[in-house]
Amino acid sequence: MSRPPVPFTAAGVARGLARGSALSPGVLAYGVVFGVLAGEAGRSALEAVLMSALIHSGSAQLAALQGMATGPFVAPIVATILLTNARYVLYGAALRGWYGAAPPAGAWPSLFLLGDGNWAMAMKEHEQGRHDGGFLLGSGLAQFVPWTIGTWIGHATGSAIADPRRFGMDFMIVALAAAMATAFWRGRASLAPAGVALATALAVHAWMPGGWTALAAGLAGAATAWMLHDDES
Amino acid sequence: MTTSPDFLLALAAMAAASYACRLGGFAAMRFVRSTPRLEAALRAVPLSVMVGIVAPSLGNSGPAEWIGLAAVALAMRLSGNNDPLAAMIGVAAVATARALGL
Repeated sequence: MSRPPVPFTAAGVARGLARGSALSPGVLAYGVVFGVLAGEAGRSALEAVLMSALIHSGSAQLAALQGMATGPFVAPIVATILLTNARYVLYGAALRGWYGAAPPAGAWPSLFLLGDGNWAMAMKEHEQGRHDGGFLLGSGLAQFVPWTIGTWIGHATGSAIADPRRFGMDFMIVALAAAMATAFWRGRASLAPAGVALATALAVHAWMPGGWTALAAGLAGAATAWMLHDDES
Repeated sequence: MTTSPDFLLALAAMAAASYACRLGGFAAMRFVRSTPRLEAALRAVPLSVMVGIVAPSLGNSGPAEWIGLAAVALAMRLSGNNDPLAAMIGVAAVATARALGL
């Protein structure tokens, strides 16, 4: 089974930027929050911005701030980052069927910008029959730029900024996930994987909240689809 | 604007760990022979992850978040599945509900 090559065009990048920019205000607000926290934890502005640019993951960076504050050892911090970002392993695997046929020079930098929001948007884009590989890069940049700029703003302004909760910004990723779930719904076939994913997520959240719920739900839904798959059809 | 060699070394390790996760699943799948069953499993991942992100807010949230989720569902239906728009309407609904003290 050979797949046609996947295009990687400037038009695809532009489309990703346009679609992804809807999330930019929320990402900016959370970048500001991280910048404030990094300043309070004693990191310089340069260090805070470097963390946002190179680790590029809110939950992992919060874990890293905490880890660096408690001890000089890097290994536990690296282990925490591997665990909080483990869901990206799953995201990348799901992208293989599409990006495997894209030029590696485009695919690899795009994966550097992989995040929850732009991954979900890209998967939907692919499902709707648009396969331009530039989309993930464009929508990734629409998160990367406000995230790093927001970090710098937050570090510069300190804790003087308003509470992002007041503007509902903490609800942005939940609202987007709910909208995406509606868009990914495939009728009766979705019922079992989604049901098992929901039950798993609630159980895991009650037991150990944090970045684990999304990963556990993804694995549980995939396992359900795996077991229910009918080779005859 | 200062930093230290210790921080930069730690940062390099942290950045490598973060990128390894992003690249790992994608790279590993190159060596896994794809079957229809595996593809069905991977196709179920996006919906399942979205459910996993929404699920915690079902448990520990108040009326404001419920109104937000209802607004998202309604906006998706009315806008022909325009998800960023629906998400922003949901956020606006939550902010309004909180401002009203819900």
